[in-house]
Parts: sequence; C-alpha cells; structure tokens
Amino acid sequence: MSAWLANAIEKSHSVNDWLTAKRQGALALLQEKNWPGRKTEDWKYTSVRALEKRAISSAANAGEVNVATIAGLEAIELHFIDGHFQGVKQSLPEGLSIVELSKADAEVQAWAVEAFSACKPKKHLFGLINDTLADNGLVIDVAEGADIKQPMRIVNEITQDIDVQHRVLVRLGEGAKATVIEQAGGTQESYFSGFAEYFLAEKAALEHYRFCLRTGKALSIGGSHFELKSNAQINSTLVGFGSELSRLDVDVMHRGEGAHAKINAVYLLDSGEIFDLHSCIEHEIGHCTTDETVRGIVGDKATATFNGRIHIHRDAQKTLAELSNKNLLLTDNAQINTKPELEIYADDVRCAHGATVAELDKSALYYLTSRGVSKSQALVMLNFGFINALVDEMPNSALAEWLRPQLQERFAKMNQEPAQA
Amino acid sequence: MLKIRNLKAKVEDKEILKGLSLEVKPGEVHAIMGPNGAGKSTLGYVLTGRDGYEVTDGDATLNGEDLLELEIEERARAGLFLAFQYPVEIPGVSNLEFMKAAVDAAREERGEDALSSADFLKAAKAACKQVNLPLDFLKRGVNEGFSGGEKKRNEIMQMLLLQPKLCILDESDSGLDIDALKVVAEGVNSQRDDQRSFIVVTHYQRLLDYIKPDFVHVLSDGKIVKSGDASLAHELEAEGYAWLETYDRQAEEETA
Ligand SMILES: Nc1ncnc2c1ncn2[C@@H]1O[C@H](COP(=O)(O)OP(=O)(O)O)[C@@H](O)[C@H]1O
Ligand SMILES: [Mg+2]
Repeated sequence: MSAWLANAIEKSHSVNDWLTAKRQGALALLQEKNWPGRKTEDWKYTSVRALEKRAISSAANAGEVNVATIAGLEAIELHFIDGHFQGVKQSLPEGLSIVELSKADAEVQAWAVEAFSACKPKKHLFGLINDTLADNGLVIDVAEGADIKQPMRIVNEITQDIDVQHRVLVRLGEGAKATVIEQAGGTQESYFSGFAEYFLAEKAALEHYRFCLRTGKALSIGGSHFELKSNAQINSTLVGFGSELSRLDVDVMHRGEGAHAKINAVYLLDSGEIFDLHSCIEHEIGHCTTDETVRGIVGDKATATFNGRIHIHRDAQKTLAELSNKNLLLTDNAQINTKPELEIYADDVRCAHGATVAELDKSALYYLTSRGVSKSQALVMLNFGFINALVDEMPNSALAEWLRPQLQERFAKMNQEPAQA
Repeated sequence: MLKIRNLKAKVEDKEILKGLSLEVKPGEVHAIMGPNGAGKSTLGYVLTGRDGYEVTDGDATLNGEDLLELEIEERARAGLFLAFQYPVEIPGVSNLEFMKAAVDAAREERGEDALSSADFLKAAKAACKQVNLPLDFLKRGVNEGFSGGEKKRNEIMQMLLLQPKLCILDESDSGLDIDALKVVAEGVNSQRDDQRSFIVVTHYQRLLDYIKPDFVHVLSDGKIVKSGDASLAHELEAEGYAWLETYDRQAEEETA
C-alpha cells in the first residue's frame, strides 16, 4: 500500500457524520485495493506519481478569490472556495432543494444515505477514497415534475496547496427537469477529488456539463455517475484541459427501458498535459440508447487517454449504442491512447464503436482557400472546428459562448503547425 | 479580364477539358450551357485550382496574370470567385468567422485596412438580408444543415461580401424555386457593372431571363462547340442537346 493511501485511510478515521456507515463500507473495500501502477489496466497510461508525492491537507479557511459569473447564464451560483461552501445567494424556485453535505437534515439524510455511492461503481479507487473523506459538497433534490429553468452551477476554486474531497448527490424526481454544471478551474498546485452521483427517476431529464479546466500542477481525479430509470434522459457535455494529472470517470447505468444518454466530450491538451477520460455505459436493460461522441486535439507532447466501454447486458435487447472517438494530433510527440471496449451479451442490438485519428477534410480545405483564406489559417479553422462542432451542440448557448473563446485562446497558444499540413 | 486558351485538363488520368478557349471582357456576362458531364464544373475547379485537376495544356490569365501558377487562395485574392454547384458543409466553422477571414484577406490584398468586427458584422448582416437568409445563418456552421437552396443563397452572400472581379456561378439556380431564383439573380444583378464579369453555368433558360447574358456558349465534351447571343439559350431550351451528336459527326467529317 502506498504511503498516500495509508495516510488517506488514516484520515478517514476522523470523519464522523451521518454517512459513517457508508464511509466504513468504502473503507473496507479500500483495504483490499491495489494502488494503481503501470500494470493496473485502468491506469495503464496515466501515472499517479504526481499525487503520491503530496501530503494530504485541507484548509481551515477559504482563500480570497472572485468567481466570475457567466454572461447570460443566470445560474443558481454554488461556489466552493478551498472546499468551503459560499452559500446559496439566490432564492430557490419551487421544487428545488439544495443543502450542504454537512448540513443535511434528517429528511434529506433519509434518501441521501441510500443514494450515496449507489451509482458510482465500486471499482473506482479514488471514488472510494472520496466516499471515506468527502467533507464538503451538496445534496440537490428536484421534486417530481419540477422544471427548474435556472441552471445550477457548482464551481470549485482552490487557492492554496491543499486537497479537496468534494461530493455531489443529485436526485431528479419523476418527470423533473434540471441543468447542473460542474466546473473546476485554476492552476494552483493542489488536488481536487470531485465525484458526483445523479439519480434520474422515470422521465426525468438532466442537462449536464462538466468542465475540467484545472491545469499545471492542479491535479484532479473525479467522476460523474448517472442512474437512469425508464425514459429518463441525460444530455452531457464534458470538457477537459489537461494537467500533470487529470482523470475523469463517467458511468451511465441504464436501469429502465427507454432511457437515453447523449454524451459529447471534448479535450484540448497542450505542453506535457495529461487528460484521461474513462467512460462506461451499462445497458442493464433493453430499449435504451446511448450516443457518445468524443473528440480531442492533442498538441506538443501531451497525452490523451480515452477508454470507452459499452456493456450490453444479456437482457438488454433493442439497445442502440454509438460511440465515436476522433483525435487530432498536432505534433509527432503528442500521444493518444484510445481503447474501445465493447461487451455485448444480447443479440438484438445495434452498436457502433469507432476510434480514429481525425483526417483532414480536403474538400473543406479547398472550399475555405477558394475564398482567399490562407492554407495555414484554413487549417487552424478546420482543426478548431473539429472540436468546436461539439461546442456548437451544447444546448445552453450562454455556456457555449463562454467556453468557445477559452478553447480558442488555448488552441491559439498551441503548436499551430499541424503535422498533416 | 479572363482569357482561356486551348485549356486541357485531366482528372484521374481522364481528359475532361479538351482544348477549351474563352475570353470574357470586363463587365460581360457569359452563360455556359451544356449536357451533364460536359466539363462545366471541371472548368470552375481547374480555374480555382482544386487538387486533383491537372492542367496538361493551354493557359488561363486573369487580368494578364497567369492564373494557373497561383495558389488557390491567391486566385481568390486576385478576384476569382466560384459559387459551387455543391457547396461544402463545414460543421464547427461558423459562416461568420469564415467570411471575416476571407474578407480580411481580400481587403489586405487590395491594400485596405481590415474591417472592425462591428463593421464587418454590419456588412455580413446586410448581405445575409439581401439573399433572404435569416441572420442566425451567420452563426451556424458553414452550410451545415442548410437546404439546397439555402446553400446556393449562401454562396451568393459570400460573393456579395467578397466583391470579386470574376464570378463563376456553377448551377446556382438548380433546385431553386422561382422566388429563390429571383433572389440569386438579383444578387448577381446588384453586382453587375462595367468592370465585374460573370460566367453563369446553367441548364435553364429560366435563370437567363433574370440575368441577361451577353454571350451564350455550349460546352460539350470538354470544348466550347457553339457560341452566340442570348437567343442561343432559347434555341437550346427548345431543342435540347440532341443536335450535338450530329454536330460532333459533322466536326469529325470536316477534320477528316
Ligand atoms: N474527381 C473525378 N474523378 C473522375 N472523374 C471525374 C471527377 N470529377 C469529374 N469527373 C468526370 O468529368 C466529367 C465532367 O464532369 P463535370 O465537370 O462535373 O461535368 P458538368 O459540370 O458539365 O456536368 C464527367 O464525366 C465526370 O464523371
Ligand atoms: Mg456540374
């Protein structure tokens, strides 16, 4: 066992709250887990050495930082600074309850204790650690039939060299609609572990965004996990910048007929950054659909890892699942490790799965240059367009307008001599 | 303006243009008609420099400049514009940023300052309105999900913004209803002056009722086989191209 993990387990003994029973369950599982090394399949391409070197610490007080709002978004702003919640500043619409993890009352605890760790798979080592240590976060409950128009924007900013173990539980009642944004940014040396679990009852619809924008020595390991009951839907957009260590696990459990998951993921990596996305879609039941599109641009000597698993269980007939991963490598040293994993145990399903290195669209290049745009500029436009096409698909245009220039700026700074020019 | 002499070009080892000659003077409108597969689109591709279209003989100059020696973007900057028969869809690249880059390049070529974003947006909106496209088309991906007619109008919008010297319209009327056709024709007519020239490729007399050509040519099997004034288009509309076969036989006999 690594010293870091031993330290984490040690720390967990001092956490004592309404989740203790759950935390102890996770702890028991943790004792049997191996620390990820080169031979650990799930961590084959991503080293956790940068994390191992850290001592685990938290901050007594929140630092000073201004979290910028997003023009036109008009969100319910939920900010955590150094793991400290800054409170709900708006009045909440009817049908929506948001409470801090540490302040859950008996009524909230009654369902949340069951939900905690119920759709986050046990296989995630760092998720188990989060189970034992998470001392800040939110419990969000959207009542049956409620249609919450204002997006909930959960932002984590870290201003000190600390570790933050953050946890979010979201429950959408039958037919409820809501939008949740999980955002973490910054460059401060630190470790952020953010795990979120979403439970969608029948016919509930969730619009979800996860922006993993921490770079440099700002390390992150986290996950977003979804359970969909019949005819529930998620539309999720994931965006990743890389850092010395940035890992995201996304799991979707189709647990009711007619559930639908649309996932668009984009990553844009520069210098020696690492971004590792694992997605796992469990079709446990028939007549569900998954449409997952993952696109990345990898520059300089950065490394992207994408592992996309689709698991169609024995009884999951009439499943429709599509997953595509396309990558654009800007240099010879940029690396992409992409691995499709299809496991199909039902016979009447339609499933498409592809991973490719993106090819330049020659007729598009001709079209742009035939209007007088230089070839080099046209290539930049096309390369950026490759990921921007998914930004265009974001259902919330205020978020798209906010994100696009950040991606553009990042892309402009990257090596602009594509290997294929 | 444009001088094409004995142009021969091949695609994938197949000769398509077989000695085509054409001169277009400033301010003139030339219509090119002819059967499918004659090489009309190929002419546009060869002149604009599309990859895979290899010139094997002849030459083409635009205002005295050897067109065939220039890069694709240099030809555009020299004032050449092709409205595509099949405009390309480019998701992720907005119409607006595409046109801003193109207009900036054209202005730079003319030694003019780049337009401010606000001025450009104004011009783009005006062009958009002129071709009857909703303004949100500027924000959308280039031609992405546009209908056939919208694509054609988007080509004309680009022409309005770029103010080229020589415009080749490749079947800009096909698939358009009469209202859309008028929009396209009015767009072209608004640009007509004694300096700007047009080559209008079409199958239908209909378009030429709105865009009055100075000359009409018949392109067949890679060559211009007949030229005349606007009345030739009416004849073609009435007679079709069946006469071309006899024409070819006659030509062969004459050369024999
Ligand atoms: N990329 C290509 N590869 C092979 N043949 C081509 C290609 N493009 C055009 N052609 C051929 O060249 C001929 C002329 O085509 P085109 O210029 O499109 O005709 P038009 O526009 O007059 O209908 C046709 O026979 C067509 O099949
Ligand atoms: Mg054609």
